[in-house]
Amino acid sequence: MAELPIWQFDSLFLIVVLLFGITSLAMQNLMSAAIVFGAYSFLMCLIWTAMGAVDVAFTEAAVGAGVSTVFIVATIHNCGVTAKPMNSRIGFKLFAGAIAVGTGAFLLSALPDFPAWGDPQSPVNSTVAPYYIENTIRDAHVPNIVTTVLADYRGFDTLLETAVVFIACIAIYSILRVDSAKSTVDEPDVVTSPPAYDPTDSLIIRQASRIMVPFMQIFALYVIAHGHYSPGGGFQGGVILGASVILLCISFDLKFVLRQWTEKRIMILTALGVLIYASVGVACLFMDGNYLDYGVLDSILPGDKSYARYYGILLVEIGVGVTVMFSMIGIYMILASNGRFRQGL
Amino acid sequence: MEEIVPKLNYIVVVILMMTGLWSMLAQNNLIKKCIGMAIFQTGIILFFISIGAKDNASIPIVTKEPVNQALGQAHAPEGSQPPAKPELAKPKAKEYPNPPNVNKLTNPLTQILMLTAIVVGVATLGVGLALAQKVYQQHDSFDEDVILKNQTK
Repeated sequence: MAELPIWQFDSLFLIVVLLFGITSLAMQNLMSAAIVFGAYSFLMCLIWTAMGAVDVAFTEAAVGAGVSTVFIVATIHNCGVTAKPMNSRIGFKLFAGAIAVGTGAFLLSALPDFPAWGDPQSPVNSTVAPYYIENTIRDAHVPNIVTTVLADYRGFDTLLETAVVFIACIAIYSILRVDSAKSTVDEPDVVTSPPAYDPTDSLIIRQASRIMVPFMQIFALYVIAHGHYSPGGGFQGGVILGASVILLCISFDLKFVLRQWTEKRIMILTALGVLIYASVGVACLFMDGNYLDYGVLDSILPGDKSYARYYGILLVEIGVGVTVMFSMIGIYMILASNGRFRQGL
Repeated sequence: MEEIVPKLNYIVVVILMMTGLWSMLAQNNLIKKCIGMAIFQTGIILFFISIGAKDNASIPIVTKEPVNQALGQAHAPEGSQPPAKPELAKPKAKEYPNPPNVNKLTNPLTQILMLTAIVVGVATLGVGLALAQKVYQQHDSFDEDVILKNQTK
């Protein structure tokens, strides 16, 4: 194991990622903490790519490093930036430290029982997983095994994950949304004294993002449509589509985007994605099959049973993409505008 | 060192989880708690990905391979000019291997479980941040001490 250079790189990355995580928690300035956390996520992507998990790394690069950093920054923008130094309740902190160290020691005591890193014969790698590797081409003609397992073999799982994203979007709305008609008092419509140099009003940033957005969206559509053959799929493509609109929100203004994508439209489209996914399952029921068993759709889709699964996966991925895209936009808008849907970041 | 390096991933996972757990329990700042939650989560994801990794294995995407030479030889004499340009005369037909070599592809199952976990993770992070923002609106601070003091007043 130790003689392979790639594993040494992995070890190096693992130690650096650990340092980044601890640094991000130790920083006093919350904005710096958010950015270091983004860097931590990107390093994590490198580690996962080196371990062969390209789909996961792609998702983490789009979601963990991209969108979650933006969410944290949007929250901090509306609230305070500096964290106070922690000098109160030292006893409780030591107690919490003891709990954490105790848990860690308990987990590490199981270390000798675990298989070595990268062992192909470990129980995880040698029991269930070979079935998926061997049968995915025969069943669905999709070379990317992760896509097949995601949308076909474990279709129920993904349906409910999509529903979770939708529900989270609704939850954030119910927590933060303020009817702006009722609360005109505490936020003035017009900023009374604009700063001498307004960094949000930069011509360069506006024009650059105006040029970038169409390319981002084409790339995202490619990621969704080509998820059968390469890393990607509905989650990643949806997040990139959402990020392209979030970029417009940041570089222009929230109002600029709200002219096209009103709040109501965003919520309807978020629900529409889950509806697309669920209705593919219902269509399978009507064709005399089980729920989400795309093979029975071969009478209305081109090709035989395995190609019906291929197209079924594509339909489902589109549904996932729509939900993820609009829930990301919705969550960003509500976090950035403090629930008022007026002015953003 | 010989014993540590093959299991370094588990040690890093445990340290990341300890950091995240301590941060969720002991940090005063609500945003730091949310970041701690995310770090705890990436620790778990790293655990799943690293137990699914295999030595000398590629990404879990099946690639087409040239069909075995016996088939190519059988087709070659049918072409009119086999000796002239051998590499052009018999273009190698590529097919998906059936079944693919299990040891050459990393475990897809742990990856798919974690892929959905990441997306749900950002949704829960969003809910956490929304709650923190709501708390800030009422108490004008992310600091736990200030919030507790305001509540006991």
